[in-house]
Amino acid sequence: MKSTRIFLVFFFLFSSAALGQTVELPDPELLPPMENDDPALVEVLEKINAVDSYEVPDLKLRREQNYAGTAEDVEPFSGVTPFKEHFLEQMEYTGPGRAIPEPEHLETVKIGFIGPIMSTVSVATGGKSHEEPLGLQMLRGSRLAIEQANARGGYLKRKLPFELFVANDNGLWGASGNEIVTMAYKEHVWAILGTIDGANSHIAIRVALKAEVAMINSGDTDPTFIETNIPWVFRCISDDRQMGYLLVDYLFRKRGFKRIGIIRGSNRYARFGVREIIDGSRRLGNPIAIEMAYTLGSTDFSLQLERLREANIVAVVHWGDGTDAAMILNQMREEGMTQPYFTSDRAVTSEFSEIAGQNAEGVWAAYPWNPIRKDPKLEAFRRIFRERFGVDADTYAAHGYDGMNMLIWATQVAGLNRAKIRDVLAYRSKPWPGVTGDIAFSAALDDVGTVTLAKFEGGKWNFHTREDLQIPRGFIPARDRVTRTAAAATTD
Amino acid sequence: MALTGYGLGQAAKQEEPLKSGDGLLPYVYTEWEHYTTKTGLPNDHIFSVEASKSHVWIGTEDGLARLDKKTRQIETWKEEDGLPWRVVSSLAMSEKTGELWIGMFGGGLARFSGGRFDHWHQLNSGLINDVVYGLAIENDHVWIATTAGASRFNTVTGEWTIYTEKNAPMEEIWNYGVSYNDGKVYLGIWGSGVLEFDVATERWKDYLDPDGEMEIDLYRDDGIVHVITTGTSYIDGVLWVSSYFGGNRYDGRHWRGYFAHDCGLPSDFINAVMGRSANEAWFGTDKGLGAVMDFASDTWVIYTMNPKTHTGQAVITRANEVVKTVEMPLAIPHNYVLWTEVDGNDIWVGTSKGLARGIGKDYFAGIRTPETLSVSDQQPEGRNTVSAEKR
Repeated sequence: MKSTRIFLVFFFLFSSAALGQTVELPDPELLPPMENDDPALVEVLEKINAVDSYEVPDLKLRREQNYAGTAEDVEPFSGVTPFKEHFLEQMEYTGPGRAIPEPEHLETVKIGFIGPIMSTVSVATGGKSHEEPLGLQMLRGSRLAIEQANARGGYLKRKLPFELFVANDNGLWGASGNEIVTMAYKEHVWAILGTIDGANSHIAIRVALKAEVAMINSGDTDPTFIETNIPWVFRCISDDRQMGYLLVDYLFRKRGFKRIGIIRGSNRYARFGVREIIDGSRRLGNPIAIEMAYTLGSTDFSLQLERLREANIVAVVHWGDGTDAAMILNQMREEGMTQPYFTSDRAVTSEFSEIAGQNAEGVWAAYPWNPIRKDPKLEAFRRIFRERFGVDADTYAAHGYDGMNMLIWATQVAGLNRAKIRDVLAYRSKPWPGVTGDIAFSAALDDVGTVTLAKFEGGKWNFHTREDLQIPRGFIPARDRVTRTAAAATTD
Repeated sequence: MALTGYGLGQAAKQEEPLKSGDGLLPYVYTEWEHYTTKTGLPNDHIFSVEASKSHVWIGTEDGLARLDKKTRQIETWKEEDGLPWRVVSSLAMSEKTGELWIGMFGGGLARFSGGRFDHWHQLNSGLINDVVYGLAIENDHVWIATTAGASRFNTVTGEWTIYTEKNAPMEEIWNYGVSYNDGKVYLGIWGSGVLEFDVATERWKDYLDPDGEMEIDLYRDDGIVHVITTGTSYIDGVLWVSSYFGGNRYDGRHWRGYFAHDCGLPSDFINAVMGRSANEAWFGTDKGLGAVMDFASDTWVIYTMNPKTHTGQAVITRANEVVKTVEMPLAIPHNYVLWTEVDGNDIWVGTSKGLARGIGKDYFAGIRTPETLSVSDQQPEGRNTVSAEKR
């Protein structure tokens, strides 16, 4: 693994900016912000720079009344007042890290990248790894952000170039944990971006917590990633909880379906991806009729489809990789199953439509953002990305670009101190104007931005918001669950 | 080489009169020593502490240390001294052999014996992963809680056993804390609650959050408060559990959940727990040290450091009501507490900015009448001067 890592660092360092790779910058107004004079930020900086090893800055914590915009009728145990509701108040970092001075004698400012970029057999991802295309796109987006930052002068306070330290996360035996240790203690990165697979992500953030280094995730949509109460962890992509809520509302409130069947992969991405769909369906009175899992790498889904057909389902929800989505869809249609087909964000790829062919028409997919909205930043990013890497930017590239730019911004304004880098992200008062849209962190430091439903129509994907499709939703109470009942009783 | 960290002596104040209640008070540690890099530790970030009869072993973010309890001398080992990796995340002493087992964060497992370090890692042994969070000695075995499962090493035969989702009821394999006592091994697992391993039968039992939801705890006393558990401690037939969402006590029949808003716990973010008895346990949190000193009456003592003055404070609560506040010149060295260790009458506290020893002079268990609790000015110079007098 060590030799692999060294090779990767060497390759990525000396194949781009270090060898004089000229990267194009968009027009200034389309560049990621570098502002450091926002009054709210100035206050944060004043306070975090004023504390010593023992003090905790007196900064207002985000406090929310509703977790993740959850409608009342899909809340768990909605008929019971829970004893405790989590994630409504932002976590603090109370350790001594803010007092650590900037080191001298640096040649570069290292930012870590960890993701699935090399093919392996991984326990965490359920067998032969399959996420490398996603990880490589995330890496390209991250690299572009680093190259552009260096073209703008690098780490401006000390005129040092940023360096991307790259590691593969899907090796054997929990490799992601070892890689984060290496980044934190040997390579001395200032912050980290990654990963995609939910299992590797959890392993990585446990290490980031102990080593006290901020980590932004731009590719893992597992809701539980952020539900761990770690003050060092951020996510800049909407999750399966948000996509699940939208899909459930569409299936039941909009379309009025009754019997839904689920077919999903056997990995963590699929297992956790359907959880809110299963729970939400049950809570809305339409329990999922059947849930079938398949082993990753399968090409014959006849057993699962037979069971689905026997269950008399009226629509099928698939959660898994895009190629699986296409193969399952084709086999469904071959076997005469004509039910509407809903799938996950990983199906929104050219591979899916190429494999599915005509069957792709009319397929729906939950999606974590709206990639077809008109935004000059997004258009410039796509054009420059294509010129730089010769491929189109996808979700993973765009979110990787946004996440890396957030880390670069945080490093620029906070200085070379991991705790302060964490602070300026955690206490940022304004949404980050990313190419994927405005990214505003919740109290759990999660991105709960707009998610969409994509529909394959006329040979391409179109993306629809809840408002576009006029999808109803349940009432979202503006009060936390613990005090809500007491307040209602008082009102009565 | 080492210096002791006595605080400057100054008279402490009794801030508040006793409030109503049953009038009984717990023991309060008012005499503290601090150990930091200034007194010889290799690093101030203390991940683990293991006390033996004569010494205290200290695992830090950059090295291992041994404190002689009698002389206060500190010896240190870093990588250049043979320590296989700098970050010592866990320690366990074998009472049978006197060997020190060292869990390293990203460096695997080491044994320190006879002045020599032996090293096991995932490429030369049955250690499932090099990112080690916890260690426990069980008879002739060493249990190693890692980020990708647990390993059990038979130190006599050299046999390794690996436990993952394949052969144990681990919903997730991200092990965090491990403890052993009285025939049972307990694993605190991030995402998988608590697993109990019965050594005699080699059977597993799992304890999960009964509501199964990440964002709520439905009922306080129905089971573990959350599946993201960080530590366990089993003593006198009672299991104490820590998590980043609160704590627990389980007597084999009844659960009790602990949350900061509901008891004396300083914060729900608990890094570690150590039970002293079925009645008393110590929780290391990100906002101070909380000790339930008498389970039956829900009596707690919360120790914090004033970050501006660096003086200490102990707040006694009962049923979430403040009973008494004791100010003292010195308590814990930082409010971010990572480890607690009970050592006879003393208590050791590892924080992210130094190690503390709470000196349990005249320690008593439970709660007692407070008539003899007084401010003393008879302490040796250089020490804190408030103590709970012997009853």
